[in-house]
Amino acid sequence: MPDAGDSTVADDSDEALIGRYVRGDAAAFELLYRRHEMRVWRYLQRNLRDAATADELMQEVWFAVARDASRYLPSARFTTWLFSIAHNRMIDSIRARRRHMNLESLEHGSDEVARQLTADPSASPIAAAIARDEAAALIRAVEELPREQREAFLLQVEGDLDIEEIARITGSSFETTKSRLRYARTKLRQTLKEFA
Amino acid sequence: MSEDLDEIYRRASALDPSRPSEAMRRRVLEHAAALAARPRPAANRARWRPAIFGTLAAAALAGLLVMPRVFNPHPPAESADTAAPAKVPPVVAPPPPASPPPLAGAPPFASAPPLADAPSMNAAPAPPPISPPQAAARSRAIAPTDASREAASRVDALAQSGAAAENPIASAQLSSPPTDPSAALRRAAETGDIQKLRAILGAEVRIDAPDARGRTALMLAAAGGQAESVDVLLAHGADPNAADANGTTPLKAALAADRPAIAAALRRAGAR
Repeated sequence: MPDAGDSTVADDSDEALIGRYVRGDAAAFELLYRRHEMRVWRYLQRNLRDAATADELMQEVWFAVARDASRYLPSARFTTWLFSIAHNRMIDSIRARRRHMNLESLEHGSDEVARQLTADPSASPIAAAIARDEAAALIRAVEELPREQREAFLLQVEGDLDIEEIARITGSSFETTKSRLRYARTKLRQTLKEFA
Repeated sequence: MSEDLDEIYRRASALDPSRPSEAMRRRVLEHAAALAARPRPAANRARWRPAIFGTLAAAALAGLLVMPRVFNPHPPAESADTAAPAKVPPVVAPPPPASPPPLAGAPPFASAPPLADAPSMNAAPAPPPISPPQAAARSRAIAPTDASREAASRVDALAQSGAAAENPIASAQLSSPPTDPSAALRRAAETGDIQKLRAILGAEVRIDAPDARGRTALMLAAAGGQAESVDVLLAHGADPNAADANGTTPLKAALAADRPAIAAALRRAGAR
């Protein structure tokens, strides 16, 4: 597999890359994928707290990007479009799981069922490697945020989206989104304070 | 402090060894390469033509609908939904009374000139059966001439004297025009207000009643990603193939909004 970073289109913007891909340049897509792979992955994995489902949705998201690339309108940022696809897939997945497993409580953050999905944090490679580190504490705190706050925070830090874009993607008002972000950040800061 | 938080988060993320699987990555890139090798329609470039013609057609239609109102001295009393339906599905509202009470100074309803005979700018084909309040609303919307005004006044009087008393929804329409049950149904479906949606569906309402752009409640729910609304509407017999004025079906709307689960539900209900 060629190193996408050496591609001649490496300096192109996301929007230019998707345009090149529509015109048949598969290398442009690969560069785009590698540029955003980990951000989308972390967004899905930390929201769902389930690597297998995140992997499955990751494939669906990027299949959708490839299939619908010609429908992308450059008036919106590529990342806004990309994360709106990821958000929609994730919500559909949560709804489907809730129907099958009666995951009503997933809406309300960390609880019994959410803990089942999270599995044992101490068993994850990151927790083992950096246990007792503030970074590990922060990741756990992110995963334990209520779903709406967690998603807003991850869209901001992983998608690099502003409040207006997050509000549009999640179908919430500007003020609601702003509040969710404020609550999320307050809780995370509190976690860090307690850890220190 | 906010920057500290983001910085610590980034550091934690950099230390996190979890990664998407290599197999998934390979599948994505192979799929993308295969699509790139195929010629694809330049959707964005070709869209301007239907967009321009569609806009012109919509403007012409709007002009035809608005002109009678401009010259009609009667103030409009109904919502846009009832004024210009793009498609009129079968009415579920209760039938008019078998023998309405005779009106003072007016012939019985049966002997009044039929609405279809009244001069109309809509030139629509023979309309389906309609309830008296709807007939009143429609007659006000389409006919500025004396003959049709006379017919409208008769129907208005009939509606107020007979059907409204028996039908609370029709009564509400007459007394407070904004409470159109089909508009409320569409709003509830679009916003995912399931409790309200069920309550409205429990009363008599045309489940496929379109708005001014021909969009049904199911279409709005599908486009808005309201999966539960879609399920409820389909369970109550909403038409999964009812298209709007542009020919967009609920299935197309769901696919355009990237809602595969809703699209699957619609397909199971027979959407094409």
